[in-house]
Order: sequence, then structure tokens, then C-alpha cells
Amino acid sequence: MESLIQKKLLEFICRNYMVEEYEINLDKSLVDEGIIDSFGLVEISSFLKKEFAITILENEMNRANFGSVLKIVSFIERKKTV
Amino acid sequence: MNTTVSRCTRCVLSKEFPKIAFDENGVCNFCRNEMFYTLGTDVIDSSKKTIAELLDAHRGTSSYDAVMCFSGGKDSTYTLMLSVKKYGLKVLAFTLDNGFISPVSFQNITRVVDSLGVDHVTLRPSLNNLKAIIRASALHPIYNPKTLTRISSICNSCISIVNMTALKFALEKRIPFIVAGFTLGQIPANSIVFKNNYQFLEESREQSLSKLRDEAGSCVDDYFCIDPKLLSESSRFPYNLNLLCLEDITESEILNRIQEFGWIAPKDVDGCSSNCRLNTFNNYVHEKQFGYSPYELELSHLIRKGQLTRDEALQKINSKPIGQLQSIMNELRITEAELPNVVLGS
Repeated sequence: MESLIQKKLLEFICRNYMVEEYEINLDKSLVDEGIIDSFGLVEISSFLKKEFAITILENEMNRANFGSVLKIVSFIERKKTV
Repeated sequence: MNTTVSRCTRCVLSKEFPKIAFDENGVCNFCRNEMFYTLGTDVIDSSKKTIAELLDAHRGTSSYDAVMCFSGGKDSTYTLMLSVKKYGLKVLAFTLDNGFISPVSFQNITRVVDSLGVDHVTLRPSLNNLKAIIRASALHPIYNPKTLTRISSICNSCISIVNMTALKFALEKRIPFIVAGFTLGQIPANSIVFKNNYQFLEESREQSLSKLRDEAGSCVDDYFCIDPKLLSESSRFPYNLNLLCLEDITESEILNRIQEFGWIAPKDVDGCSSNCRLNTFNNYVHEKQFGYSPYELELSHLIRKGQLTRDEALQKINSKPIGQLQSIMNELRITEAELPNVVLGS
């Protein structure tokens, strides 16, 4: 089931990067898929910090945490429990 | 939704632009603030603070404070001036000569770097290699269409070479900052100051590089790739700074200011470029494929910010030197029949 974090993240991606939800493969990197570039990575990180009141360190913006929508959601969930 | 409008009546976004919708007055959903493309002034203020802190921490720690991606166009010229005069940075200016830079632009480059007293290097890759890369970018689906909303495929290739070369300079010479002349509209406000995870980005580019390599050959590796050992140095620096985004300034004010350094507007470029003759062709290919100009998003942002009128923006999009398109296609040995077909709504 889609979590609230995932819903908000997908809404942000669709509105900012002019894609439809069905175009986003949840398992694949948004950068690899061409949906975002290096600027987009920074922009998503800023959105997540503000929306979920978390801190994201520069070295956390890596493939393990930002390598797909599902990985980002999991990263946020972990951050929120800290 | 109004389906009879061909272009927003307030900005210049076309009906073919992704996810666009017009109201009964022909105003698009971007102008109605339904697509949150940029953020407010709080981001600008926090970026100013972050940049000031970073500059204080790193200025004077290396032979140069910053590598400046200097195309010789109006925005990068103004940004170079800001870097030196306003921020007091010791700059290494770097220009990619893609073989299509206007001769007037090269004169501008010389005058500006001499006036500002900065060191300057030019990279001119083999013209055969460049033409192969340009041809591949124009004729083959190298990049994901979603990447090309605000940039043409050929510009994307040139800017990738610029970014990679600037990164190599920064890492080899241990320069803490890379400065570029992007404006808001070209980039989101959160990206005025940032540090890339280059390792992640490098891995992510492999698919498009592989396609480019297939079409243009192994020369792609010389310009688009970096030694993994050198790349591993990028965990601490460089930071990317887009200093022009912090300025509340109109295009005519920029032009007035840079004229003091002897900068002259080239006549052999289209309305959306102030240095590169190739842009006419790049935009033509993009418009043919997607149905809209790759500059629409940026120009529309400037209109909403009050930094450009709609008429001025339309003039930019429509201004193309007579005969230039065919002349460039002849230089590249590309025929009309070879160009990709229209893919509206992609």
C-alpha cells in the first residue's frame, strides 16, 4: 500500500518534473530514468527536508538512499524514526 | 480546459509543453502557480548565507578559488564579473570551443578576461569528434525525452562536456568552487549552491553515454568521462555556485553592465543565445521533435519574475539569422530527411 510519504513524494515529482505517475518506475533511479538531473536531486532533497522536517547530509545523497522512489521513501522513514 | 490556445497568453509556454493546461483566458497552469517549479525568496536568502560561509571557509586555500564555466555569452560574462568584482574570487575561466562559437564572442571573451585580469583556458576538442557528437545528439535518441524539457539534446551534450571538464580542473588543481552562469528558470532555486554526489551521477549517465559511444565512437570517453581515481577525490569538494541567481537584475541591465568591458552582442546567433551559432540548429531539432522551444520554460519564468516581457520572449524564440540553419546543417552534413520526426506530447 502506498504510504503518505510516497504519495507526497510522487506528487512533488509529477508536478515539478512534468511527468505522470504511471511514467515513474518505483524501483528505478529517477536520475537514470532521465526524470531528474543533478539539480533535481538537490531539489528533491530540499523538498524532503522541508516537508518531513529531517536533515539530510551531503554524503547521504547517494544511490543507496536516493536510487529509486522506494529507496527514498525507506530513507525518509528511517530518518523520521531517529 | 481551453483547447484552442496554442500558447499561454501570459507567458510563452506552448500547448505541446508537458503537462500544460490552459484556463478560459488562455492562462497556463504554470502561471496559475499550480506547478511549483521554483521556490520563494527564503531560498535565495539562505543560499546567500550558505555561499558567504563557504567562501569565507575556502577562499585563498588553493591556487584558484573557482573554475568559472565561461561561454562568453552575456550571463556567464556577468557572472564572471560578479565572481571577481563582487565576491573577490581568484578565478580560472574556462571556455569550451565547440567549433561554432561566434567570432565576435571570442573577441568578447578576450576583452572580458583581459579587463578582469583572470587566467583563461580554452578546450577545443577535435572538430571531427565534436561533429560526430553533435550529429549523434541531433539524430539519435541519446537522452531520455524527459531530460530534454528545458534543454536541447545538442546543448545537453556540450554542457556535459563543460561540466566534466570543469570538474576535472577543480579536482586536479584542488579548486573548491565551480561557478556557472545559470539563471533561475534554467535551474531550481535550491540549486544556487550545492555539492554533487559525482559518483552517483557518473553511474547514472552510463546508459546515455553508451548510446553516444555507439554513434560517435570512443572519443566520447575523452570528453564525458573522468578517471575513477580522480573522481574519488570529489567527496569534499567542489561546490557548485550559481551566483547570477542571487541577483535581481534584468537582461538589459546585464547588457549595459557588461558593455563596460567591451562586450558586443554577436549578430550571427539566434535570439536565445549570445555566443553560439549552433543554437539555431539545436532549437530547430528540438522544436521539430517535441513541438516547443527548449527555452520556453526559462523565458516564461523570467516573464513571471518581471525580468522580461512576453513580446521580448517571443522575439527571442523567433529570432533566427537568415540562412544559418541550412549553413550549419551543411557543415554537419545533416539533411532535413535525416532529422527525427515530430513526437508531440512526449
